[in-house]
Amino acid sequence: MPPPNDLSVIGRRQPRLDGAEKCSGRSVFADDVDLPGMLCGKILRSPHAHARILKIDTSKAEALPGVKAVITAAHAKGMMGGRRGAEPVFADDLVTYKGREIAAIAALDERTAEKALQLIEVEYEELPPVLIMRHALQAGAPLVQADKPGNIWSDNIDSYGEPEQAFDTADLVFEEKFSTSVTHNLFAEFHVAVVDFTLPNKLTLWTPTQTGLLMQHALGPAFGLSVSQVQIIHLNTGGAFSGRGGVRPHHYIAALLSRKTQRPVKIFAAGDEEFLVCRALGENDYRMRIAVNKDGTIKAVDMDAHMDGGAFPSEVGYFGWMAGLCNSWVFPLQGNRLRRRVVMTNTRPHFLPHGGMMLTSNAAIMQLCTKIARSLGRDPIDFLRQNAIEAGHHGLSGEVFASCGLKECLDIVRRESGWDQKYGKLPDYHGIGVGIGAMASGAKGAFKHDTSAALVKIGEDGIVTLYTGIPDMGQGTHTTMAMITAEVLGIRADQVRVVAGDTDLTPIDVGAFAQRGTVQTGNAVKNAALDARGQLARNAAAQLGADEDQLVFRGGKIYAAGNPDKCLDFARVVYGTLHSGEGRFTMGRGFYNSPLKIKTTSWSFGAQVAEVRIDPETGVVSVLRVTVAHDVGRVINPLACEGQIDGQVFSAMSQLLYEEVLSDEGMYLNPSRLEYKMPRTYEMPEISHHFVETVDPYGPFGAKEIGEGIVVTTGGAIAAAVFDALGGQYIHKVPMSPWRILRAVRARERSAVA
Amino acid sequence: MLLPDHQYVTTNSLKECLRLLAESREKAMVVGGGTDVIFNMRLKLFQPDVAVSIRKLDELQQVEELTNGGLRIGAGARLADLAEHPAINDRYPAFAESVRAVASTHIRNMATLGGNICLHTRCAYTNNSEEWRKGLNSCFKTEGKICHVIQTSSRCLAINNADTPLALIILGAVLTLQSAGGSREVPIAEFYTNDGMDNTVLRPDELLTHITIPPVSDRTAFLKLAPRQGMDFATVAVAARCDGTGEKVSKVSIVVGSISTNPIILHEPSRIVSEQGLGDEAISAAVDSIRDELGPLTNLFSRASYKRQMANVLVRRVLVALRES
Amino acid sequence: MAKHMMTLTVNGDVYELMVSDNQTLLDVIRDTIRLKGTKRGCTTGACGVCCVNNAKGEAVLSCITHALEWDGESITTIEGLEANGELDAIQKAFIEFGAVQCGFCTPGVIMSAKAIVNKYPEPTEEQMNAGLAGVLCRCTGHVKVKEAVRQDHELREAARHAAAK
Repeated sequence: MPPPNDLSVIGRRQPRLDGAEKCSGRSVFADDVDLPGMLCGKILRSPHAHARILKIDTSKAEALPGVKAVITAAHAKGMMGGRRGAEPVFADDLVTYKGREIAAIAALDERTAEKALQLIEVEYEELPPVLIMRHALQAGAPLVQADKPGNIWSDNIDSYGEPEQAFDTADLVFEEKFSTSVTHNLFAEFHVAVVDFTLPNKLTLWTPTQTGLLMQHALGPAFGLSVSQVQIIHLNTGGAFSGRGGVRPHHYIAALLSRKTQRPVKIFAAGDEEFLVCRALGENDYRMRIAVNKDGTIKAVDMDAHMDGGAFPSEVGYFGWMAGLCNSWVFPLQGNRLRRRVVMTNTRPHFLPHGGMMLTSNAAIMQLCTKIARSLGRDPIDFLRQNAIEAGHHGLSGEVFASCGLKECLDIVRRESGWDQKYGKLPDYHGIGVGIGAMASGAKGAFKHDTSAALVKIGEDGIVTLYTGIPDMGQGTHTTMAMITAEVLGIRADQVRVVAGDTDLTPIDVGAFAQRGTVQTGNAVKNAALDARGQLARNAAAQLGADEDQLVFRGGKIYAAGNPDKCLDFARVVYGTLHSGEGRFTMGRGFYNSPLKIKTTSWSFGAQVAEVRIDPETGVVSVLRVTVAHDVGRVINPLACEGQIDGQVFSAMSQLLYEEVLSDEGMYLNPSRLEYKMPRTYEMPEISHHFVETVDPYGPFGAKEIGEGIVVTTGGAIAAAVFDALGGQYIHKVPMSPWRILRAVRARERSAVA
Repeated sequence: MLLPDHQYVTTNSLKECLRLLAESREKAMVVGGGTDVIFNMRLKLFQPDVAVSIRKLDELQQVEELTNGGLRIGAGARLADLAEHPAINDRYPAFAESVRAVASTHIRNMATLGGNICLHTRCAYTNNSEEWRKGLNSCFKTEGKICHVIQTSSRCLAINNADTPLALIILGAVLTLQSAGGSREVPIAEFYTNDGMDNTVLRPDELLTHITIPPVSDRTAFLKLAPRQGMDFATVAVAARCDGTGEKVSKVSIVVGSISTNPIILHEPSRIVSEQGLGDEAISAAVDSIRDELGPLTNLFSRASYKRQMANVLVRRVLVALRES
Repeated sequence: MAKHMMTLTVNGDVYELMVSDNQTLLDVIRDTIRLKGTKRGCTTGACGVCCVNNAKGEAVLSCITHALEWDGESITTIEGLEANGELDAIQKAFIEFGAVQCGFCTPGVIMSAKAIVNKYPEPTEEQMNAGLAGVLCRCTGHVKVKEAVRQDHELREAARHAAAK
């Protein structure tokens, strides 16, 4: 392998390999799939949040010419969807949230399907719903699920280290309550499922997803198929942002309709329907406590959260756990305690938004840290730096942080943001804030393994084809994987073709979530490329009269280390390996599974400084600039890394300042791309990108993640800047909408007068 | 979300268009740029039998410079063209500003001035798909008899979010409404009603054909506050006009939009600054006086109290802008 | 529903089409002519992924206009930017400067960007912000999109000089 300072592909600004397809309209997304005989599927949803279904009469819909199938719960007996199979695909007799799937139609065209929906007659007996978490917790509240008293789905306390002792002995304890609103995972491409299930032993699903494997594992058993009999085609995925982590009711329903009609079926979640298919975060109320000594040592953190899990909470509590746990990834805590009670309500099931609950909890933590620093008369960056962990630190729950550039990141953002000239010196309502964060790469726990595999095929012309199952939702992982392959084989990235997005063609990959792509799949790809290289090395070594392990693959040439003048052409070696008496075809295989028992091998770390200006009359927060420094281990593709930073800063700003699903009596008031506000061009801040390369021992070429680590940290930095701009006033609720900011402005004015 | 079944008709002359509107009675809907009509059709809030396109009527797309220094603008003129029209920018900068404030570049490349003036009211409860609305009883917009915003209301309380009428009201623009039977001129200040369903006095057989703006040499200003720039309806928008120079004024008019079912013409603050001038104290007194005239604020995507505060802020800012212009 | 004959020129090709009253321009582009580069998004004018250029080279939304409105007109879709087997400068700039991520909004963003440079060969920040605000790009925050739009002019000039030599 080339030494780390001698890389020829990695570290270059590599434009996306699929750029020409995507920029010319050639890229095929699921909605572009147009199969012969394909029917239009539509779902009838409950208009009530809580109701008993007394009767469903589908006869009129069935009689409408052009209608090919009408299905209800009767056609999906025992079929459980959702995460961990907690959610029946159709409501059977009880509806527990507005928008619940009641029936579905397949028809020749959309117009007929829409008409048929109107012809399905459903008689409901409306029941009193419980729509707000606060109400669900009141004594005597209606129960969402009869066997969950008090509407408590789960109540877990995890205690790491010695939190009680830390809080008892600390000089100071800071405590504050925070809350978040219902959010939506909005991505450019709408939810869509196209299913061909016309042969009994083969189900093919075209859909955007972060993981073909989890979808295979969900759909296979539901339809009596083995995993490999389910083919997931995710050609292109139009954004995911934590919102396409698994199978949803419309996937099952499209399959049911296709099997029944013996024709392909497409379901497109039109308009406001996307807000029902979505499983983003619900309301959270949480109390954060931080124990700190006067010398500035952070000793312990305690988070106590109530989380609205909606009608089928599944694993939402897990993200509360992560949100508490991640504090011990940046601070060397003596104790960390996290309690999260997951509450059920008659609302859409909740799962996670981009950045999980970590973005909002970090916004709370970084406001608190700024407060503590001010109280102790300390500069916030100094205060965080004093408490920042370093490489080699052992976390409280078994983590070993093999690489960590957190302090370097803090130093960079201090310098590059002009912090020392600005902090404490800005005019009123103009603030600067710092945030730090860390993010784990890896998803052990979804399965016992966290395996990615890859195949590298080298054609006789020297063109390399890489087969990988990792979905590219825009993050650019396919280009990253091609660069890793090219680096190992000493060729250019554009000489690697990537075959992906089809579980029939590609080897196993757990998927593009939990920040696992670069580390897990990257290692698998590297191993496959090394395997292929080994096959060529035998031939090349013989020709060069050198040892195989001395060979250098670089610039399309193969030579013995130290003797680049005597070299072989890569493509000719490939050709010769096949066109010989042995006739060997070069095909490398590799896989990677984390060698550790815990979920994660590697953590990225980052620090960011945000500068904001608040209009004290309107409460509008303008984010002026964000300075980002991130320890990514190693920068594989600077162009893609910068793009990741831009996008995550956008996403964090959007969630922190804008995004909120408004509702009244369970009815969403803004389920549209016009009224669910996300910022556009004018609102974007200036962003500067800085990277710290700590060369992690686990990641391929030392690389770590650059996804949600950014989004979490930006959340903290902007929140801290708003806190600073308000002269040290907390904003307790996310999003920090103008009217919430204005309340704080008024409070500040009142306290100034007093 | 398909468009409901209907007949689409392109008209090639104004006469033909007016005849068609007369014949179809209430079952026709005029389509200019389509951006508002098709939005409402997708949500099945509009289900016309006939969509009557006026896009080919050249006479509705002209901007005519009048000898008195005013302008006569065809209702079918595109907002994008008006935003850059030299005479408009020259003579009516506040109006030009209001045109540029509408939605996005994309929308302005399609939408017409007439369409913005006749923009249908919007409501948090009904601006969702038909399926979504089924959990609610039918309201005025969906052939029912209640308003979800205030259940006891005898009328629809949906909001008028149009930007350009605010500027046109302070400029004293007059609308020409034509029908097969004749033509009438209605000052735009008298065009809107307080009913979110039938929010203008335009009859089903009538077409808004022209907007005439008289010559104006007064100072004018337009301001819009929106959750996002470049692509949004206003939280609050305001237009104002006054004569005189500096703090000295004798005639002031102020209009606030995106607050209610119709643009609200504020009388009391206008009276205060007309009498006391545009000094800081007078402006504060004027701002303090608007509460009663705004009436109850309802049906909001943002908090009512916030909207009210922003109305105050924008009125103050627009008066300061006048003083400094 | 009744259908009507209409003529539509798309990317220079003249199509004679049978179109229903309630079809939008987007429906015709995607389902009748079967050019799938133009995307179906919110279909209510708020997300911009269905953007195409009209005959004047302006950005318009195909989801929110009757197809029959376009009888006799000419439009350009994302597929129509390439000429002589080569991508347009704006497309090359998008690729080179990393202005494309998931790619779903990209056709809409590129057609919006193309409209900007059609009108303003060297656009200001304000002109870019105004021209792009109508499209929701969830991945890039439009940061690198604007870099690409700024580069379009230079790429075009470079190509012109190369051709002159």
